[in-house]
Amino acid sequence: MGYSLIWYLKEFARTAWIKKFLFAKTAPLTTPSYFRGFPEPTGRICQHALFCMMACPAPGAIEVVHAGNGWMPRIHKGHCIRCGLCVEACPHGVLKSGRILETMEREGSSLLFSFRIAIDPDLCTGCGNCATACPVNKQIDAQLGAGGHSSSEEVIMRVLDGDVQVLHEEKCTGCKTCETSCPTRAIQIARILEGTQQPPEGSGP
Amino acid sequence: MKRTVDVNIPLGPIHPCFKEPARLKCEAKGERIVGVEVELGYMKKGIERIMKGRPWQEVMFLAERVCGICSVIHNMVFIEAMEQISGITVPPRAAYLRVIANELDRMQSHLLANFSYCYTIEHETLGMYLLDLREQVMDELERLTGARVTCAYMIPGGVRCDILPENAELLQVSLDRIEKDLRRYTGMFADGPMIALRSRGVGILTQEAAQRAHAVGPTARASGIPADCRLNHPTYRQLGFVPDCRQDCDNYSRIMVRFDEVARSIALIRKCLQELPSGVIRGGGICKAGETRYSGEAPRGELTYFIRSDEFGRIVDIQIQTPSIMNIEACCHEMIIGADSIADVTSTFVSADPCIACTER
Repeated sequence: MGYSLIWYLKEFARTAWIKKFLFAKTAPLTTPSYFRGFPEPTGRICQHALFCMMACPAPGAIEVVHAGNGWMPRIHKGHCIRCGLCVEACPHGVLKSGRILETMEREGSSLLFSFRIAIDPDLCTGCGNCATACPVNKQIDAQLGAGGHSSSEEVIMRVLDGDVQVLHEEKCTGCKTCETSCPTRAIQIARILEGTQQPPEGSGP
Repeated sequence: MKRTVDVNIPLGPIHPCFKEPARLKCEAKGERIVGVEVELGYMKKGIERIMKGRPWQEVMFLAERVCGICSVIHNMVFIEAMEQISGITVPPRAAYLRVIANELDRMQSHLLANFSYCYTIEHETLGMYLLDLREQVMDELERLTGARVTCAYMIPGGVRCDILPENAELLQVSLDRIEKDLRRYTGMFADGPMIALRSRGVGILTQEAAQRAHAVGPTARASGIPADCRLNHPTYRQLGFVPDCRQDCDNYSRIMVRFDEVARSIALIRKCLQELPSGVIRGGGICKAGETRYSGEAPRGELTYFIRSDEFGRIVDIQIQTPSIMNIEACCHEMIIGADSIADVTSTFVSADPCIACTER
């Protein structure tokens, strides 16, 4: 008992111990540069492709809004899960998060979107809402009327003989305006994402 | 529950030793346990229902969030199932990087499981050492993937980002350090007389009983059954993987199997880094329609995904079969019965490493 008491007193009377006890500091917490944090703007101009919103797995985490005289993605931090898919899906490099953007540029990797239109003929009433609402259709054929009829062969879809027919699936931008305007949920847009890589010339692995 | 004895002791759902809520209703005769019933359902998320009708880029993140401590393997099994459906091939470099991420995740999961066992048998010192070691593993995982837990590293046809040469070197250095510490801590556990008192000969799960209860993963391997889904995985076969088995069938051997597997994972990662093929990390490929059943080895055992997808690669139907349910059953029907005290119930239950989040999804 006595021995151990002396041992403890000696242990705690050491200047090194007292110094450590009074002035010890843990290293400040730092975020490493490779940490995949909330996406931040890089300063490049947003082209309003909206691929970030389409790729985002968390509902309501990102939206593209008017900022000043252009478009800008805005992150809602309470909803964002910091997956970084928006950074990878953006074709213009507007956002950055951790080292995703620089790795993408070095390795030539990207996420490519393709859009497919599926129409359920049993549900479709041929009302033409989809063809009328489609913003691409509107650009191609400004004359496109309320019934969805069009004389142009270049539109994405049009109503012919009481049924909607898809002519140019590849022109679809995946905005899903047709899907939301369909009264019977007959039309559905599938947003298909594909991870690809084209290594830049002359770069080693 | 039919009452056959007069002492009925409930443990949980809130219990300092359990990582997640589960209720064990123990029938005790004196201190001896004669029967256990497990009650689950405290953290049902219904995640399989949320997954339906979504494309892979959304389901991938949901799959990760089934379980927080084995998230990488959920991602891997889901993505590899989708690849099997769609006939997508993975570039060899990406396959090796997947193994690295998966093994790092296995290491941290096993270290956490062993921490929680040490904590349960009141050996907090060793427990905290193991947690500290786990932090280093998590840092490596973060350096590789960009996030500690929900990495989202794999996508159909490859992985998200490549490993940089300087990061590969740092990983080698960290592995050396981790292995040195791990050897010390394994020695502490293996030779500790007090640990042996609480662990050796407690919670016996014989080989026959393990087969009867369909135990999987380290729980089965500690009972001498060399079952491991990694044996069927092409990349692991290339790496010449052999599972670790022990024959003692008790708590001690279950924890030691996990320590052995952490060492095995370190060796696998080293081999991956040595033999890392050059080339691209993404092969591309679009998810298609199909139906499949795909299994992978989670840290706790065999994890199976049944998936049916439509022509656009959206999930129509999905079922997840997780390893913990079998281990919990094995635990309640075989291991705990005949335990000498209530204290052994919690330690035996924790030694089987039940993951309730996985089990209830």
